[in-house]
Amino acid sequence: MTSTLKGITIKGSAELVAEFFSFGINSILYQRGIYPPETFTRVTNYGMSLQLTTDTKLKTYLTDVVAQLKDWLFECTVQKLVLVITCLETNEVLERWQFDIECDKSAKETSAPREKSIKAIQDEIRSVIRQITATVTFLPLLETPCAFDLLVYTDKDLAVPDKWEESGPQIIAQSEEVRLRSFTTSIHKVNSMVAYKKTDSA
Amino acid sequence: MAEGGDVEWELSKENIQPLRRGRDISALHQALSLQQDGFSSTINQQRQAFESELRMYDGDDPLDVWDRYIKWTEQTIPQGGKESNLSTLLEQVVTRFTDEKKYHNDPRYVDLCIKFAENCPEPLDIYRYMQAQGIGVTQASLYIAWSEEYENQGNCRKADLVYQEGFKKCAEPHDKLLQFHKALQARVSRQVMMDVEEDDSDDEPKQKERISLADLRHRGKKKAIAPIIRTGPAIRSISGGLQPRSAPVLGNATNSRLVVFDENKAESAGPSEPIFESWSAPPTARAKENERRPEKWCDVKMPQKSKFGHTVMAPPPVKPTFQPFVEESDQPPTMTPCKINPAVNTVLSTRKLCREETPLKRLQEHNQQQKEAESGKLQEQSMYCKELLLSGATEFCFEELRAERFFKRMAQESQEVRGHEGQASTSDAN
Repeated sequence: MTSTLKGITIKGSAELVAEFFSFGINSILYQRGIYPPETFTRVTNYGMSLQLTTDTKLKTYLTDVVAQLKDWLFECTVQKLVLVITCLETNEVLERWQFDIECDKSAKETSAPREKSIKAIQDEIRSVIRQITATVTFLPLLETPCAFDLLVYTDKDLAVPDKWEESGPQIIAQSEEVRLRSFTTSIHKVNSMVAYKKTDSA
Repeated sequence: MAEGGDVEWELSKENIQPLRRGRDISALHQALSLQQDGFSSTINQQRQAFESELRMYDGDDPLDVWDRYIKWTEQTIPQGGKESNLSTLLEQVVTRFTDEKKYHNDPRYVDLCIKFAENCPEPLDIYRYMQAQGIGVTQASLYIAWSEEYENQGNCRKADLVYQEGFKKCAEPHDKLLQFHKALQARVSRQVMMDVEEDDSDDEPKQKERISLADLRHRGKKKAIAPIIRTGPAIRSISGGLQPRSAPVLGNATNSRLVVFDENKAESAGPSEPIFESWSAPPTARAKENERRPEKWCDVKMPQKSKFGHTVMAPPPVKPTFQPFVEESDQPPTMTPCKINPAVNTVLSTRKLCREETPLKRLQEHNQQQKEAESGKLQEQSMYCKELLLSGATEFCFEELRAERFFKRMAQESQEVRGHEGQASTSDAN
């Protein structure tokens, strides 16, 4: 991380955003019960306690994804990260967490740090994660065992790395969409949203 | 910061009851903004509309109105509670259609019955009642809810038996039943495995943690009181997808040596079909030990012993010979404050329910009455449309019904008139 507390460079920004995704994905997996709660351990970050997985396979998978994501963030070639929750039996998409990433590509040319303190950014990140936790108030109960998948939208000209494959958008047909808070490092801006299957009451 | 759309739901997240099916976010926003202006008249108007629709409906699917009304209530009054009238409504709808054979295996009715059961202090009784009456016996959702209740109470054997019964009855959809049964088996086997692991690593006491999103086992039989200590045995289940119930069991290393007698388990080791007794007659009131009927205490006198050993009653309190001083300004209020909200428009106050009376009991009483009426034994007969007045969550008066009919007729007539006018104008054009 950059030694200065006042400004932020594109490298630091990429790191911060990648770190957010690591914690954010872990939070969602824990909150939505995709993995059993006893496979999570509590850590304190952003001034709040967060759950991190201890499942080794999942951990390596997430570390790989986040490392790759960090590169893409640094190059400003990533547009979206989507976490899809599907029913294990029917493969039906039940929930779709979408994080739109807006990169300020001009930051690549100029190496001068931007004026935004890490504390301010982390405060914003904290409120996003808080909101993810609070979504249980309206999300439907996931009644069946579920699996998750991560989709990353990048610029078109990018070569697909090993271990990654092309995929469809996996959109929910009749969905209810709720925008969550967003945060910005002044270089990367992340808008969050969750979509879920519409209730049949309407 | 608040650019992430409407954040109102986050500000009142504690006052929103999670629903199994999730919430309609626009309805939620609407409900929350309405509530900020006080319990607004819009909600009351809509409720009134539903209430009158309940009474005026003359199609061949009266359950539909109820179904919509209850779903509306759930979505519009997110905090639930007494204000929502939800439990009253559920009880009404279950009682109302309990004799209608055509609804017995209607998924909507079965779902409503299950919701009703979940609202009751003892859901298992309701499920048994449903089975005895033949309500939902071919619906997978009954067996799933029933089994989940057993599982929450920690009786996995019976939870499994319920599924067996469901398979025997060929409940539909079969896939769903199968899937949930598999999930139960997975959870149970996982729990067993965890227990074995726990025995191995008994030495290090694990730190008990409060688990988020866990259902707590409530204390007290009638009133559900959340326990103060919210770890270990106080946790009933964790809601959510894959989560097994075993985590909290891990918690207490010191207690694990203690073998606790579980009467449910012991019972289930005996005859394997204890669940399915029939419920033709209402159960007799349970004999409760150590329970005294409430009575007035100020009149009760302790028998006092005199010097000579036999009891004498205390002398009655003598009336004071002086006039107690009363301040002049301290006059009792001449009028009781008006508590009735004119917008709500309840004609009479609702009857306070007796504590002893459970919803199931009322349901069975209703059944009993119905049978008596059929056999001509009923002495009481109302000579007015009692059904219509009392059928919703609120009570109607005759005038309201009359007005409703009147408005309907007016609307019809005005439509006819308009129709005539339309015809007239077309004929003019010709």
